[in-house]
Amino acid sequence: MQAEALVKHYGGRAGVVEAVRGVDLVVETGEVFGFLGPNGAGKSTTVRMLTTLLTITSGTARVAGVDVTREPDAARRRIGVALQEAGLDPRQTGRELLVLQGRLFGLATPEASSRAEELLELVELEDAADRHIKGYSGGMKRRLDLASALVHEPEVLFLDEPTTGLDPASRLTIWEELRRINQRGTTVFLTTQYLEEADQLCDLIAIIDDGRIVRRGTPAELKADLREREGLSADPTLDDVFLDATGRTRSRVAGDVQEVSA
Amino acid sequence: MSSAWVLGQRALREAVRTPEALLPTLFIPIFFLVVNTGQAAKIFPSDSTSFLEGQGYGAFQLPTSLLLAASFGTAALFLVEDIEGGYFDKLRATPIARTSIVLGRLIAEGVKGLLIAAVLVLLALPFGVEIASGPLGFVLLVVLTALWSVVFVGFMQLIALGTRSAAATNSGGLVFFPLLFLTPNFVPRDLLTRPMEIAATFNPVTYLMEALRSLILEDFDWGAILPGFGVVAVLGALMLVLNVRMIRQYD
Repeated sequence: MQAEALVKHYGGRAGVVEAVRGVDLVVETGEVFGFLGPNGAGKSTTVRMLTTLLTITSGTARVAGVDVTREPDAARRRIGVALQEAGLDPRQTGRELLVLQGRLFGLATPEASSRAEELLELVELEDAADRHIKGYSGGMKRRLDLASALVHEPEVLFLDEPTTGLDPASRLTIWEELRRINQRGTTVFLTTQYLEEADQLCDLIAIIDDGRIVRRGTPAELKADLREREGLSADPTLDDVFLDATGRTRSRVAGDVQEVSA
Repeated sequence: MSSAWVLGQRALREAVRTPEALLPTLFIPIFFLVVNTGQAAKIFPSDSTSFLEGQGYGAFQLPTSLLLAASFGTAALFLVEDIEGGYFDKLRATPIARTSIVLGRLIAEGVKGLLIAAVLVLLALPFGVEIASGPLGFVLLVVLTALWSVVFVGFMQLIALGTRSAAATNSGGLVFFPLLFLTPNFVPRDLLTRPMEIAATFNPVTYLMEALRSLILEDFDWGAILPGFGVVAVLGALMLVLNVRMIRQYD
């Protein structure tokens, strides 16, 4: 996956909002990529552009080798999407939702039913498969949303804050599922506000603030960099890296500190 | 088209599983039929009122109730729920034609419209209403009502896609009431006052009402029936084009 100089401007009553201001990203096949940033930094906007849900103001993005602007349908066939709000229809059962999703990705009904069965097993929702989704807990909804993003066996899976609002047990379940999915060869693009989650799951991390990438590297590289710069005696946590990165950006806005680019 | 049908089936399941949203579309039109007939039936006795063609005033009022039943646009409110809940984005992230997302709900609305119109007409029969144009007229009556429900939900979907707000969509639907009352809904057009007659002549709902009324009160009068189908054909095409354009530009 590759994004070059990705920009998104929104026009509003208060004028133009520059939500994303020239993001460059490269994610290799099979990686788990963590995209971190404070609220309103541009994480979700970037994900929505990469998944064809938002138009791109300028710049280019290719996902699984396909230009998302020129060939949106081809890109959609290659990506799975689970957004911040679990996008589910509460009046359907879990099974119906997965079968419908399979049909929309071109599977015949028997094929879609069998894929739904596999996925219900993967996310451990077999017992709740025929219950209406409105009765599911938050964790069950997240797992079903994840399953629905996997119906067509995507090459790249986009997850926008998949564990926000979940209890620790449900969060661990999602982590285990993500590891299993990644082990099967799926590239994962994950946004999260939980730094421990990024530390546990991600091969590579980028931190976005105010619409710009301010840090990029493996979790170990980012920690080592901060330790060296600050002369710390022990390795900092990813929280320290995050605060340092977003703090630098605030200073940069004030004109004190140079932008950091990896 | 198969994606549109798959989404249409989903929208029908949604309607069946929300009877609390479906029942008012039957109850309120029946309520208006009973009240309007009760208030005006004595003024227009069937034996001395030529425009009733020998039937009771209930037969004259039935088209108003049919059009009311077809103008709830509940599907557009479900669309807002999809948008607010994120399921709409889930659909947009699939490789189906954007047109299918719009058509799915319109197809479902058409099927619902057929059923509701058929039930309303069948409920009216025991109260002395006869379909003078016979079984084929009954079919045309139900089909025309259902087509109007598709047109109207298309209009409501435009508001839903534009505002993404249930309150705005709901309020937008109220535009139907002025349109319904600027028609010859209590008396034929030639008995309206001149300003009302002019307003009714410019109102497309008038031609629907007159087509439906003609099918109930008379044998086939194509001069009254065809303008009704013309209105749904023109407005239906317009709504489809605008809906598709809006969903393609949705950001």
